[in-house]
Amino acid sequence: MKFFESLLKLDRRIIYIVVGLLVMLPLIKPLGLGVSSGPRARALFDAVDALPAGKTVLIAVDFDPSSMPELYPMLVAMMRHAFAKDMKVLLCGLWVTGSGLADQAAQTIPKEYGKEYGKDVVYLGWKPGVDAVILGMGENIKNVYPTDYYGHPLDSLPMMRDVQRLRDIPIVFAISAGTPGYQDWLLYAQSRYGMRVGAGVTAVSAADAYPFLQSGQLTGLLAGMKGGAEYEVLVQKAGYSKAYMPAVAAMDSQSLAHVVIMLLVIIGNVAYFATRKRSS
Amino acid sequence: MHISHSILTWVAAVLTVGIFSFLWRDNPFYKFCEHLFVGVSVGYSIALTWYNAVYPDLFNPLFLQPLSAVPLGKKLLLVIPLALGLCYFCRFIPKVSWAIRFPMAFVLGWGMGVAIPATFQTSIVKQIQGTFLTPGIFGRWDVFLWAIISFIGVICSVFYFFFSKEHKGALRVASETGVVFLMVGFGASFGYTVMARMSLLIGRFQFVLRDWLGIIR
Repeated sequence: MKFFESLLKLDRRIIYIVVGLLVMLPLIKPLGLGVSSGPRARALFDAVDALPAGKTVLIAVDFDPSSMPELYPMLVAMMRHAFAKDMKVLLCGLWVTGSGLADQAAQTIPKEYGKEYGKDVVYLGWKPGVDAVILGMGENIKNVYPTDYYGHPLDSLPMMRDVQRLRDIPIVFAISAGTPGYQDWLLYAQSRYGMRVGAGVTAVSAADAYPFLQSGQLTGLLAGMKGGAEYEVLVQKAGYSKAYMPAVAAMDSQSLAHVVIMLLVIIGNVAYFATRKRSS
Repeated sequence: MHISHSILTWVAAVLTVGIFSFLWRDNPFYKFCEHLFVGVSVGYSIALTWYNAVYPDLFNPLFLQPLSAVPLGKKLLLVIPLALGLCYFCRFIPKVSWAIRFPMAFVLGWGMGVAIPATFQTSIVKQIQGTFLTPGIFGRWDVFLWAIISFIGVICSVFYFFFSKEHKGALRVASETGVVFLMVGFGASFGYTVMARMSLLIGRFQFVLRDWLGIIR
């Protein structure tokens, strides 16, 4: 019994150190546990893959640096997929603090595929007023964004000649860390303009997104870092990219950390009930 | 091991260590990092709001552009959002704080008018439909089975929140079944939350080990 009592009084800092080591070690020496792709990621991949070359994929960067480890790999993987299929990418964002992340992706990923800014990729930037922005883009994108993030007039960008409004875009991939996010794209872009919406969400909000997947409103769903890893694997298996996959590289650590948490939950409960029985 | 020579990476790394130092105990270095984060976030948001919205959409066309570029009618239209926006600042002056009601009324009226039909369609009609009639329901037996389980779960969970009658007999069975479904839902949410927090920790370790210390690829 003393053993259980000492377990319940264990210094939380010991747990932090154990978890920290178990997360760090597989990053230094990978275990190679592997990542399999589920049907939700596959559905999104197939939907994008089926689009003909030259079409535009809208990626909504609705997250900020605090959820970057989970969501940025999705953004990169989706851009690589689109560019490898000779599609164009239109970036925009509903989160002001996410502007720099979309800018970083717009500056780095197109170069891997020899794509040019203005012809193959455009970053619109951020505007306030979530519903007004999406509804306005449905009528005319230039009304909401007369210029892109870098100050170029939209009329001067060749890619935007074929993309006037949301109906010219077959799918939006909303990468969301909360509100505003994929639900706003469902509310306004899908219900009013019939757009297909795929979502990439943080693991915390994944459970809330599943009902929209089951009802068929979401074309596909990437949940958390695991979702990003699944998409990275799909893109690499299809031969679209050979680049480093940060989400896949993190999966060994993720798996080990989950095992530790499960053990701690079980041990904590056993210790609690054992000591409670004794005290009663 | 190739330690970064970038000063920005060093700043990020030192701040990461500062935030993690809270795990040991609360300390002044952590407080400094926390306050710095809040200040930088607010400053960044204000700057971006100015350069992405206020300046190009309001200030520039209203005050800087000549009448030949922006007609008088459009300039007058822009006065309306300017006035409504300024009303928000009346909150700081007790004598005229009532003026904040104008922009609030506008925002609430617009928001409800736009959101209610869309929300009804997306989150109620489609979701009720999706409770049972999911895509491919009659194509595969396993999809059909999951749709039935989901349907039972929704009905039983709704019964749990039915308070107009005492939960006895069939109602009790239904509501207790609903509790089981709710617990499964909470468990799934908790599991995903653990996954999310671990992902963030891994992301920081990837930064420390790769970008800062250069230990991993």
